[in-house]
Amino acid sequence: MTEASRREVRAGLEPSLARLWRYALVLSRARDAADDLVQATCLRAIERADQFVPGTRVDRWLFAILRSIWLNEIRSQRIRQGGGFVDAEDALTTDGAREIEMNITAAAVLRAIDLLPEAQRETVLLVYGEGYSYAEAAATLGVPIGTIMSRLAAGRAALAKLK
Amino acid sequence: MSDDDAELVALIDNELDDSNRTALLARLAADDGLRQRYEELRRTGAPLVASLDELLMQAPLARLRAALPAEEPPRLPSRRFSGITLRDLAAGMIGILAAGAAAWVALSLGLLRERQDWRTAVTDYTNMYSNETFSPLKPDAQLQAIELSALGARLGANLTPENVALPGLRFTMAFMLTYEGSPLGVIAYVDPSGAPVALCIIANDAPDAPIRSERRHNLSLAWWSRGGRSHLVIGHIPKERAVALAQTLEKQI
Repeated sequence: MTEASRREVRAGLEPSLARLWRYALVLSRARDAADDLVQATCLRAIERADQFVPGTRVDRWLFAILRSIWLNEIRSQRIRQGGGFVDAEDALTTDGAREIEMNITAAAVLRAIDLLPEAQRETVLLVYGEGYSYAEAAATLGVPIGTIMSRLAAGRAALAKLK
Repeated sequence: MSDDDAELVALIDNELDDSNRTALLARLAADDGLRQRYEELRRTGAPLVASLDELLMQAPLARLRAALPAEEPPRLPSRRFSGITLRDLAAGMIGILAAGAAAWVALSLGLLRERQDWRTAVTDYTNMYSNETFSPLKPDAQLQAIELSALGARLGANLTPENVALPGLRFTMAFMLTYEGSPLGVIAYVDPSGAPVALCIIANDAPDAPIRSERRHNLSLAWWSRGGRSHLVIGHIPKERAVALAQTLEKQI
């Protein structure tokens, strides 16, 4: 089981990199922090690969590690250092988000997501970006389903104001 | 945010339990304002998902891959490797980066050119649909009728569950996008294996044109224009099947 765990974790890292980075960016709103967070997640996953249960979803396991590192280490560290998460140049929409042919541009939507509180941003990402069901999101975030519902509604209401 | 938003969003996301769903559908049927709010919230779904996809494209994959821990514990440099200087390595890296940048620019320009027509935009989007996109949805006839009615109102077309029905396909949901300012409606179906097929309708004032078809990537497209609207059937199906579906729809809509 240990060898199988290590193999699955190792195999699951690279395919998950972009999604881990997106999650890290949505949480931190800072690209340097997102890079660090993904790197720390990969290291931690390899260190603790024996704890992974083979046959379960490695991406969800990696997400849980990333979230834990963010909450317990990097976020508090950045707060201690006085580094905020609201620098305009670090927001989600920098790096030239390409416009797409829809009624609301991706950049405008990302700006609106950017302005949401962290808990709402994270819930929106997990449900609409990662396909978590409400129950899965509630279990992952440790909140009731009603809280998931109100966070998603707040997020979509903010987007509905865009014209 | 209104008091009903949480329930409306849960309805849109197919996360309401049966009793709440039935109650909310009854209220929707009787309340224009609530229906309008439902529409406003529902319209945020596709741009939201597309924008989150956009962030994925921005991930610095090369840098993240490079930072992945080595498979094996690092070994001491071999004699052969020791002959390579840091300057050689730096030159190699610059070469790789330059080639990557050139490929990226070429790809971006290609994408910009291709996006000039709406079928290409739809093809790009449909390529992202999988067997899991629509097949888990449990169609609700009342909700489908509301979605189609809203779509028809924007497109100036009469759309009903009956006239969009297709043999061998299950209608799952209808939603609205826009393409360069023109309303673009998407009516999504799944075949018995769960594979998605879409009928897209755009109000673009195009002159009437008969059915034409083509293959793009692994998708078959069949399209025609009538009454100031262009229609497109698209899916991972044989081209002949796409044409047959288009012929059926051309008669029904």
